Amino acid sequence: MYPRTFPYPASIMFAPIFKTARIYPAVPIVLALLAAFSLLSPYFLTAGNIEAALASNSVVLIASVGMTLVLLTGGIDLSIATVISVSAVMSGLVMGATDNVPLGFLVAAAVGATFGAVNGALIGVFGLAPFITTMATGLIARGLAFVYSEGVAIKGTPYWMLDFGFMSFLGIPAVAWVALLIVVLAAIVLSQTTWGREVMLVGSNRNAAIHAGISARTVEFSVYFVAGVLSGVAGFVSIANLGNAIPGVGDTLLLIIIGAVVLGGTSMNGGEGSILRTVIGVALLATLTNGLNLLGIPFYDQLIVQGILIFLGTWLASTFSRARD
Amino acid sequence: MLQNNPSQFETSGKSEATPVLSVRHLKKSFSGKTVVNDLSFDLYPGEALALVGENGAGKSTTKNMLCGLLQPSGGTILIDGQEVEYLDADEQGIAAVHQELSLFGTLTVAENMCIAHLPGRPARVDWPKADRIARDQLSVLGIEIDPAMLVEELGAGKQQIVEIAKALLQASRVLILDEPTTSLTAPEREKLFEIIETLKERGIAIIFISHFMEEIYRVCDTFVTLRDGQQVGSGRLSDVGQPELEAMMVGRAVGHDAHAVAEPSSEEMLRVEELSSEDFHDISFSVRRGEIVGLAGLMGAGRTEVAESIYGLRKTTGRILVKGEAVSAVNVREMKRRRVCYVTEDRRSNGLFLNRPVRENLTAAAITRFVRRMVAGIGFAGERKGAAEVVSTMKIALPHIENQVVELSGGNQQKVLLGRWMATEPEIFLFDEPTKGVDIGAKFEIHRKIVDLAAGGAAVVIASSDLLELLNLSHRILVMRKGRIAGEFDRSDFNSVKIISMAASSTEGSA
Repeated sequence: MYPRTFPYPASIMFAPIFKTARIYPAVPIVLALLAAFSLLSPYFLTAGNIEAALASNSVVLIASVGMTLVLLTGGIDLSIATVISVSAVMSGLVMGATDNVPLGFLVAAAVGATFGAVNGALIGVFGLAPFITTMATGLIARGLAFVYSEGVAIKGTPYWMLDFGFMSFLGIPAVAWVALLIVVLAAIVLSQTTWGREVMLVGSNRNAAIHAGISARTVEFSVYFVAGVLSGVAGFVSIANLGNAIPGVGDTLLLIIIGAVVLGGTSMNGGEGSILRTVIGVALLATLTNGLNLLGIPFYDQLIVQGILIFLGTWLASTFSRARD
Repeated sequence: MLQNNPSQFETSGKSEATPVLSVRHLKKSFSGKTVVNDLSFDLYPGEALALVGENGAGKSTTKNMLCGLLQPSGGTILIDGQEVEYLDADEQGIAAVHQELSLFGTLTVAENMCIAHLPGRPARVDWPKADRIARDQLSVLGIEIDPAMLVEELGAGKQQIVEIAKALLQASRVLILDEPTTSLTAPEREKLFEIIETLKERGIAIIFISHFMEEIYRVCDTFVTLRDGQQVGSGRLSDVGQPELEAMMVGRAVGHDAHAVAEPSSEEMLRVEELSSEDFHDISFSVRRGEIVGLAGLMGAGRTEVAESIYGLRKTTGRILVKGEAVSAVNVREMKRRRVCYVTEDRRSNGLFLNRPVRENLTAAAITRFVRRMVAGIGFAGERKGAAEVVSTMKIALPHIENQVVELSGGNQQKVLLGRWMATEPEIFLFDEPTKGVDIGAKFEIHRKIVDLAAGGAAVVIASSDLLELLNLSHRILVMRKGRIAGEFDRSDFNSVKIISMAASSTEGSA
């Protein structure tokens, strides 16, 4: 009847913010970082910088999608990073020999798929522990990458491939479009198909899923398989990004990938998370690295700042989620 | 004599002796629900007291209060006539052997026995001494077990004995035994009774919890009977007969007409022939359309295992026929396809997706029904509406369908689980403890639903430890004992006392 007078109680006014912060704990941190870096560096919000950041993070983004699916089932895939390397090397070798880019893409995807299938079979069918299994296949992938490349970058990348790396459409690099396409597809599959639902349910409670008639083994096999294929694609994209297939390209990415997924808010216990959260998590780490680089902070100092900010972020996130109760 | 009157002990022959342990008006509530109320008894040195009652009567809660695991909500505990505010069971020489073993399989017998009070200094445990303590204790009790063996290498019965020997290291005055004989063989059981006799001679008081009436009469001197958390009787066992005691446990005359069950048709829906596995043997029975068959039996009798096996969750030998057709590959998907469903007893571990929304929980077993076919299987058109319908037909009380299941009460969680299976439109229901941990109101609604299902043409099997539930709902009750069907009762001759004694009888074919 009467118009309500301001101020509303803080709990009502800020409820949407609290809710967003609970589901997407990294959002406020990303926003804060964006604001801070745009104030601190005049180059941060330039088209060139944004374009470069998008391109250089597509490999991590593609691989993180695969990692998200695996974590959602309650597993983990430690081989993702080095499968990127071995896929890049194999693809680079084939493209160097044949100058055939589509064939190179198929090789990268096939190498990733092979590793994914092996992981999936060992974990899903034979019931081995994901941590050990993927650690072992990851070591094999790393070894193969170095053996076949003899430890050096593969020469003879086709020009078409190099062009692809520099291409851009609507101000967004071609490689970022690839990543974006995969993200959108994965988000739709995860939230709108029965397979996506089964992934969530197996991760939430494996026994209950089995009782409900869901084949947990098939679901587990499939997420490792998809993660493998995506690692292969990420390896291919890395060639476009860097101009060469580099045998150690993925080796340092493992913690960045896992970190991005978990910081985004996907639970390592399974059954909770989404692709959107992972995108936000990747954005968080990417913004952080990019901004600190622009500010001219040396690499090792950056690590310290990153560590502290991750602490702060997690603390903030848990405070937000507690504020709800 | 059978009145709930603690003063009777004061006028009894033992009035000069001080009870080692007494409780007065002991009470325990969990979040407003009283599970033990107004419990009073005395325990004298060298005496064995039987704590009897059905599942859920409050025996375990009482046990946990007496060994210091739970703080009572009201009443007093007296040790040697002195009131104690916080019971330090260890300090008072009270120890309990719980129904679930609490041994570390990968440690040795000696390490397990001494784990609570390791000899030597914290940084340098005197293992030879621990070994000696264990060896002495085992030989005093006349048990032949090598203290250096790993516990996991021992059989279930020997592990139970080790557990008792371990408790006795601390139980200088009171030993509480909760169903100590369920995993023992006949000679092991005899050995245990001998040990108990020696302990009594040495002045140690025993609290003995068991379903087996023969054991209670053999071991115990006095008794306290609990029903629904209330003390309904106490006194000396020599004054009451076994039927009287059992009637006291089950209590009020059972209302058979609480739910009017409809007459089943003659069409056979489910037939099980000579089903056997490592947990049960030669299980054969059939269920007709519209019929409710109860599976009664003690904990560990094999009820759950049989139900899970019919649903294809366990490996078995034998035949299962659905609507007269033998199922060649018994697995979950096949049984689901044949419209069989199994509602688990353990909804937290095997039933619900606790951190997922109610909507997803309700549609989990029938998800393909909600996939939109127009766009090549993408999208869950109508899922929310379908789930909302289940919520209203099952009368599930919830703030929002997107709430996580973990936020609901036990009764509503159980209804979500039931609702999930309703959505698959099964014709054969296997219920395992359908009302475990739910409040009275939800229990009644779930019972109503089960009766309606049968009346609507479903075949129903209920495995339950709640005998009243089975008496109320079933057309027939099969009594299981140690993995076998020990007997069968028709509704016309239901007799709770007979059923209990058949389930608990330790001798084969005594019923």
